[in-house]
Amino acid sequence: MPREPGRGGALVRRLTDPLGTLLVVAVLAGLWEGYKAFGRAVDDRILGIGLPVATDDLSMPHLWTIVGSLTAPARAGDTTSLAVYLVGETTVTLREALYGLAAGSLLGLALAVLFLHVTPVSKGLMPWLVASQTVPLVAIAPMIVIWGGKAGLPPWVAVTGIAAYLAFFPVTINSLRGLKSPPKVQLDFMRSVGAGRARVLWSLRFPAALPYVFAGLRLAATASVVGAIVGELSAGTGRGIGRAILTSAYYYSNGPEKLYAAVLVAAIAGILFVQVLALLERFALRHRHAR
Amino acid sequence: MSTLRLSRPAGGPALKARALRFTPVALTAVILLSLWQAAITLFDVPVFIMPTPVMIAEAFQHDFGTIMSASRSTVEPVLLGLVMGSLGGVAVALVVSRFPRLSGPVLNTAVLINCAPIVALAPIFNNWFGVTSLLSKAGVAAVMVFFPVFVNTTRGLLQIAPLHLEIMESLAAGPRQVAFLLRLPNALPFVFNALKLGTTLAVIGVIVSEYFGGSTEALGVYIAYQAALPRFDYAWAGILVSGAIGLGLFGAVTLLERILMPWHDSLHEEKS
Amino acid sequence: MAEPAIISVRGVNKVFNGGSDRAVTALQDIDLTLGRGEFISLLGPSGCGKSTLLRVMADLTAPTSGTVTVNGKTPGAARADRDYGMVFQQAGLFEWRSVLRNVELPLQVAGAKKEVHRAKAMEMLELVRLSEFAGHYPWQLSGGMQQRVAIARALSTDPEILFMDEPLGALDEMNRERLQGELLRIWGDTRTTVVFVTHSISEAVFLSSRVVVMSARPGRVAACIDVDLPHPRTAETRTTPEFFEKVKEVREALHGAPSEQAAA
Repeated sequence: MPREPGRGGALVRRLTDPLGTLLVVAVLAGLWEGYKAFGRAVDDRILGIGLPVATDDLSMPHLWTIVGSLTAPARAGDTTSLAVYLVGETTVTLREALYGLAAGSLLGLALAVLFLHVTPVSKGLMPWLVASQTVPLVAIAPMIVIWGGKAGLPPWVAVTGIAAYLAFFPVTINSLRGLKSPPKVQLDFMRSVGAGRARVLWSLRFPAALPYVFAGLRLAATASVVGAIVGELSAGTGRGIGRAILTSAYYYSNGPEKLYAAVLVAAIAGILFVQVLALLERFALRHRHAR
Repeated sequence: MSTLRLSRPAGGPALKARALRFTPVALTAVILLSLWQAAITLFDVPVFIMPTPVMIAEAFQHDFGTIMSASRSTVEPVLLGLVMGSLGGVAVALVVSRFPRLSGPVLNTAVLINCAPIVALAPIFNNWFGVTSLLSKAGVAAVMVFFPVFVNTTRGLLQIAPLHLEIMESLAAGPRQVAFLLRLPNALPFVFNALKLGTTLAVIGVIVSEYFGGSTEALGVYIAYQAALPRFDYAWAGILVSGAIGLGLFGAVTLLERILMPWHDSLHEEKS
Repeated sequence: MAEPAIISVRGVNKVFNGGSDRAVTALQDIDLTLGRGEFISLLGPSGCGKSTLLRVMADLTAPTSGTVTVNGKTPGAARADRDYGMVFQQAGLFEWRSVLRNVELPLQVAGAKKEVHRAKAMEMLELVRLSEFAGHYPWQLSGGMQQRVAIARALSTDPEILFMDEPLGALDEMNRERLQGELLRIWGDTRTTVVFVTHSISEAVFLSSRVVVMSARPGRVAACIDVDLPHPRTAETRTTPEFFEKVKEVREALHGAPSEQAAA
C-alpha cells in the first residue's frame, strides 16, 4: 500500500526548487570568495606549492566588482552601460540561435518522419548521421562562415546556419524515438478503424511524440546557443555576445571584470533561452501525466 | 508469451547478420561519396565552394606531417580534459548522492548551468593557466564533460528500482553493500551514456578554446587558417581528421562499455 | 496445530497516514500463529492487507501496534539473522549479474566465502532445475524462469521461512500451474515454512496446508481453513471432488466476509 504524495506536494516543490537552486548558487559564490580570501591570506601558496589558480584581482575579481562593472560605462567616454551593451549583443546572438533552432528543428522533424517511413534510408543514413555527431561540428564553422561570405550573405545567416546544424540532430533522434513510441495496441486500433498512414501520423504518432520532441528541443536550444556563439567567433566582423567575449578577452588586463561580466551574461542568456522553451513545454503538455 | 533467448548465436549466423546490417551503411557511404565526386566534376563547382573527395585525400597526403602534429597537440588536452571531467563528475556524484536532501537542488543547478554555453569559459581559463598551457584547453573540455557525467551518474546512483532496494533490505544488507552491489552497477550504464556524449564535448571544447589563442600548431587553428586562405581541400582534410578523433574516442568508450557491461550489449542490438 | 509455532502475530494493527483525514486501516487486530513446516496462504480481495501482513512479518513495514515474533525473535532480528527468504511478485533480478551470481547475492551479502556460495548457488539452481542457465543473463530468460531464479535466490541461505508475495501473479495460467507443482516439490524437499500471499482461491487450496482468509476495509482474519488434501498433490488433485469441496468452502468463507456484503 504505497503512500500517495499529497496534492500540495507539487506546489511545495515548485516553491522550494528555485530556493534550493538559489542556495546552491549562493554556496558556489561563497566558494569563489572564500577561495580568493584564502589565497590572499596565504599569498597563493600552501606548503610551498602554488595554488592552481592565482587569486589576485586580475585572475579572480571580486563578485561585486564583476556585477558592479555592469553599471559602469561599456567604454571610456561612452554613455551606455556595460549591461545595456552586453544585453544588446546577447539579443543579436539569441536571435541567431532562435532562427537556427527553428530551422534545425524543422529539418530534424522532417528527417525523423522520413526515417520512420523509409526504412532503407534510415538504415543506411542513420549510422552516418550518428557518426557525424562525433565530428566536432564547430570545426566546420569557419568554413560555413566563408561560404556565406562568398555567397554575399550577411554574417548572421552563416551563424544561424551553424546554430541550425548543431540543433537538428537531437531533434531528429528524439522525434524518431517518440514517433516510434506508440504501443502496438494503439497502432492496431488505428488500423482497425481504417486509418491511413497520414492519419496515424497525425492523430497518433505526433501527439505521442510530443514529450520526446520537447526533450530534443531542450537539448537543441542549448546546442544552438553554443553554435551561435562559436559562429560569431569564426565570423570576422559582426556583432553578438561571442564577439563581445572575444573583445573583452583581448582587453583582459584593462578590465578583467568585463570578461567575467560578458561570460555571466552569456550564461544567464543561455539558461533563460532554454527555460522559456521549458515553460512552453509545460504549457503544451499540461494535460499529460507528469512523467 | 515466453520468448526464450538462449545462448548467444554462434559465429557463423552472427557474422552473416552483421554483414547484412552493415551493407546498407557501406552502400550509403559509397553512393554519397560518388555522388559528391560526380556532382562537383559535372557541374564544375569551384574548389573554394566544395572540393572533391579525391582532392581532400590529396591534400591530406600532402600536408600529412603538419596535420598529424596539429592533431597531436589537440588530442592531448582532449584526453586530459575527458579524464579530468569524468573523474571529477563521478567523484562529485558519489559525494552528493550520499546526501539525498542535497542532491535535488545541486542536480537542478547543474542542469541549469549545463544550459549555459560553457565554451565561453575559454578566455578565462587562458588567463588562469596561461594561453599556451595544456591545462587551459583541457580545463574547458573538463568542465564541459563534468556536467553530463555528474548529472547522469548521480541519477544512476539514486534512481534505483524500489523492488531492488527492497530485496537488499530483506537480505539485511548494509549501506556499503547496497552501494557496491546495487548502486554502482546500476549507475554504470548512466555513466557510459554520459561518457559517450563527453567524447564529443571534449573535442568541441578544445577546438573552440583554440580559437581563443594559444599554440598555432593545433587542429582548430589549422582548419580556421586553411579555410581563411582559402584552401578548402586542406581545411576539409583537417575537419575529417577531427571527425576521426571524435569517432575514435567514441569507439573506445563503446568498446570499454561492452567489456565492462557484458549484460548490456543485448540492449544495444535491440534498440538499433 | 501440533507443531511448535515459528511465527506468532499478536494484536497487530497497521494504519497508513495515521492522524490525517486520509487514514487507512490496513490491518486490524490480527492474531495468527504459524506452525513450523506449514504452507500457509494469505488469501483475500485486493486491499485486505495480506501483503501488508507479510511485509510486517518480514520487517519491511513496521506495525502501528501489536507484537510479532519470528523464529523466536523480533522480525528485525530475524531479518538480520537471515532467517527468511523473500520472493516478490516481480523477480527483480539484477540485470548486470548472471543467473548464478543472482542466486549468490544473499550469500555474498551474508559474507560467505566465495567457494561456499558458488557451490551453494549451483545446488539451488539444481533445485529449481535451471543448472544449465547458470551463465545466462536475466534478459535471456522467460518470466517463469526468472521467477524460479528468484525462488532459488530466496532459498540460497537455507532460511527457515520463505515469504512469497504473489510470486506467480505475473505469470500465465500454464506457467502458473507448472510452478505451483514445482513449489510443492521444493517445499517437500526443504521442509521450509512457507507464507504465501495470493488472491487465487484454487492456488491457495492447491498449495496450502492452511488457508488464512482475510477481509478488506479494515483488513481482518475472516477464517482459517485447514486443507488436508493428501500429498503428493498433482494435476489430478485439481480434478478431485475433495478439491472442489475445499475450493467451495474457501469461497464461501471469502464471500461471507463482512466487507463484501457491504460492498454488494
